[in-house]
Formats: sequence, C-alpha cells, structure tokens
Amino acid sequence: MSAKVLAFINFKGGVGKTACAVNIASTMAKLHEKKVLIVDLDPQSNSSLWLLRPDRWREHVAKGRRSTFEIFDDAIQGKDRFNFEESVIKGVTTWTGFVELPQLHLLPASVELLRVEDRIHELRAPAVYRILDRALRDHIDRYDYVFFDCPPNLYTTTKNAIFLSDSCVVPYVPDYLSLSGFQVLAEYIEELRGKYTDSAGERRHPNVGAVVVSHYRHTGNVFRQAINELEIMLSQLRDRHILESGAGLLQPFIRHCVRVAESTSEHLPVILYAPGCIGAQDYSDLTQNFLTHFQNRK
Amino acid sequence: MNYQELAGKLLHVAERLQKHGNKLEGDLIGKSAVKLATDVEQFDANLDGFLASRKSGELLLETLLRSPAAKKHLSLDLLRKALREACSKRLKAEEMVAAKREFVETVHELDRADAASKFLKHAFAEAAYVAPAGKEKGQLQQEFFALGRLSEEEYATTIAKRTFGELRRLAATNMIRFTDKTTKPHLIKMIRRYARRLATNLPSVAA
Repeated sequence: MSAKVLAFINFKGGVGKTACAVNIASTMAKLHEKKVLIVDLDPQSNSSLWLLRPDRWREHVAKGRRSTFEIFDDAIQGKDRFNFEESVIKGVTTWTGFVELPQLHLLPASVELLRVEDRIHELRAPAVYRILDRALRDHIDRYDYVFFDCPPNLYTTTKNAIFLSDSCVVPYVPDYLSLSGFQVLAEYIEELRGKYTDSAGERRHPNVGAVVVSHYRHTGNVFRQAINELEIMLSQLRDRHILESGAGLLQPFIRHCVRVAESTSEHLPVILYAPGCIGAQDYSDLTQNFLTHFQNRK
Repeated sequence: MNYQELAGKLLHVAERLQKHGNKLEGDLIGKSAVKLATDVEQFDANLDGFLASRKSGELLLETLLRSPAAKKHLSLDLLRKALREACSKRLKAEEMVAAKREFVETVHELDRADAASKFLKHAFAEAAYVAPAGKEKGQLQQEFFALGRLSEEEYATTIAKRTFGELRRLAATNMIRFTDKTTKPHLIKMIRRYARRLATNLPSVAA
C-alpha cells in the first residue's frame, strides 16, 4: 500500500480545515473502504476533540504523551519516547461505547504543541522540517490516505507537514480575505518546491493539489462572485506556474449545515451523526470527486 | 472496544471455558454464567436481525442505499435502471419506499448484490462528478479581468464593440445578476463595476 499524504493547510483560521479533514477521511473510511490516518498538528486539537470525547482525549494525551507534541518534544530533547502504535487511536467511539469506522485512525494533538515554536531553536539539527518525516515515514504506507490537519499558520509544524506531503489541500471560504491569503499561501508553497530533500535524499516538491470550498451559501450572488474571482485567480496562478496545471477547485462546495456544527459536540463525523443532512451529502459527493482527483495524480 | 476485539475476547473466553468447564463450580461463577448466556442469546438475536438478508456484498448494498449519496441522487428511474442492469428485471413499484424494498428483495433473491452495488456506486460517482468548465468560460473570465484593468476611455471604446448578447454572456459567466429588463447601458455599468473590483482584488497575480 502506498499512501497519498495530504496537508490540509491555510494560514487563515475558520476556513474549514478540520471539518474537511475529519469528514472527508470519515466518508472515505465508511463508504469507500479506505484506510485513513488523520494527524492532528494544531495545538487547538480540533480534529482530536471532534473525534474523541474530552475526557478520553485528556487521558490519552496527558502531559503531551501519545500525541504529535511528543514527536517534536523528542526531537528537541533528543529523546525517543514516541510510540506510534500506542499513540494512534483506531476508529470512532459512538455513544453505545462501541467503536465504528475501524479503518479511520487518529494521531491526536495536545495543547503542549503551543510550546514547540518557543523551543524549536533548541534543536541543533539543521533539518527542523524533517521531524515528522523521521517519526512517521515507517508507518504511513500502511494507509491509503494520510491527512495532516495543520494549524492556521506556516510555522514549524506546518512546514513539517508540507515537507512530508505529496500535495496540499487548501480549504477556502469564499470571500476577499481568503482570496488575498490564498495567493500568499500558493506563492509560499511554490517557494519551497525543490528546496528540501527527504530522509531518502529525494527532493520534495510540495504543491497545491486542490482547493475545497466550505461555508458556502446559495443566498444572493455574493458567494458565486467570490468563486468566480477564485477561479480567475487559480487560472492566473497556473499560467504563472505558481500552481500546477492539475491544481483543481473541487466540487461540490460544502454548504453551511447546522448538523455538521452539531456533530462536533457529539464527537462524531457527520457521516455517522446525521448521514441524511446536506452537509453529509456534500461531503459524500466531494469525497467521491476528491478520490478521483487524487487517484489521477502522482 | 470494536467488534473485532469483541470477537477476539469471546473466542478467548470460549477457549478457556471449553478447557476448564468441567472444573468450574460455585454460586459466583454460576450466576455470572447464567447472565452471560442470557446476554449472548440476546446479542445473537440482535445480530441475526442485523444480518438478516445481508450476505457478503449485500451489506455494501444496504450501506449504499442508506448513504448520503443515495439521499441526494437515488431516484425511481435510477432504481429501475439498476434493477434492469443488475438483475434483468423490471421494477413494479411506483413509490420510493416500496421500490427500494422490491429492489433489495429481488437483488437478494437472485444473489446479484455485488452487481447492484457496483452499478449504484458507479451511478453515484457519475452524479457527483462536475465537468470542468469549458474553454469559453475561461476566456470570458480572462476578458472580464482585462476589462477591469482598462481606463474609462479604453473601456468605453472596447465595450462599444460588443453586442448586447455578448455582454449578457460575459456578465452571466462572471456571475453578474441581471434580468430580461436590464438595459444595455445598465449592464455595461455593472460589468465595469465588478470588473474593476476584480482587477483591484487581484492586481499582483497578473503582474
């Protein structure tokens, strides 16, 4: 099995990074029999708290153990405590107490990740962007897909995710502030292309593989115009080779759906919590097109 | 705990029970055994209910029929086509709930769950697919952007050459709302306004 490794990234917050990562991964596991790993890299631990109840999460990642923080902490302290098998959580526990979606795995985050940026200068090794690569490289190929849920910034943890990923997926809210941020992000990722080598000595070529739109509303014309502006920008960035020709705007756009918001309080992906709602329907179609899109890429 | 782990645990208990069953005695273990037997019986009945008419492959069909994709894309026509393709049978029911039941029963009867699942999976994927925009859309979007970068005089000269039909196509492609009553001068003003906004918002991309 050779995993497709994708970083869900946008340095603007509230654009749906976590919602897309959690719900696309869950739909893949439920309806397409894919084995998917979500790696939570955000100190806010939103993917972790979406899929785990708070008490279970707190117990699992107590003092930053068995979490993505431990990977970075090990690197900073020169230790080797992180154990993938002990850290990864398999499946989603429903309210019956039983686990469903056994094909969906989660490597949770802990709030201690906040400290990583303050201490990363303690790391002597030059390749700070290879920390995740070294810790996860031997484990990712047992999955069909690995998703990094990145924090809303472009600091060390995000760089590590970009470095290890085959492509970046950019969740996007259709408005001008997202539009201006997207261009900066695309140019930043383009600058990284070919600059880094991985542990096997191969040059890495991070790229934007897809843009997915969330929080979409059909009311009025505002969102349609914002999508039109995004399409024009994507086309121009492709013409300037900042984006690859295959970088696509995936459809359908995820409509605003209160059941999706509610599913976070239930600690379930929407495909388990409310499979009939419009949010689940949109994620179902998006996942289908997502799979087709990335199956056709390298 | 997941269902695979439960299966492992039950096997482990069953093996120990088989090995040591003859030696077990006393109230505590006896009462606990009675409770376990009742629970296992109940669980077995529930499992029977769940698996009724679900052989291998049929579970996937059930999942597909209850999926969000089915809620969005499954129609009577599609069910008719699916039954014809998978089982070479005609669907008689005219109402969705009855049609679904008839579909599942026929598929199970003829042992064609794999073929029916494959057909539905393909049909849902086709329904979800959104064809990429044509070349014309891209050209009209770029033209719209270019219009926004023109000076007032250049814009007036360029736009004067366009027919009303061309302007309507340009506006519609670039998501400018207008009605049948919208006049040509008003449409020209609207295109100018939104094209300038776009050129302002995307200045460095074109650099």
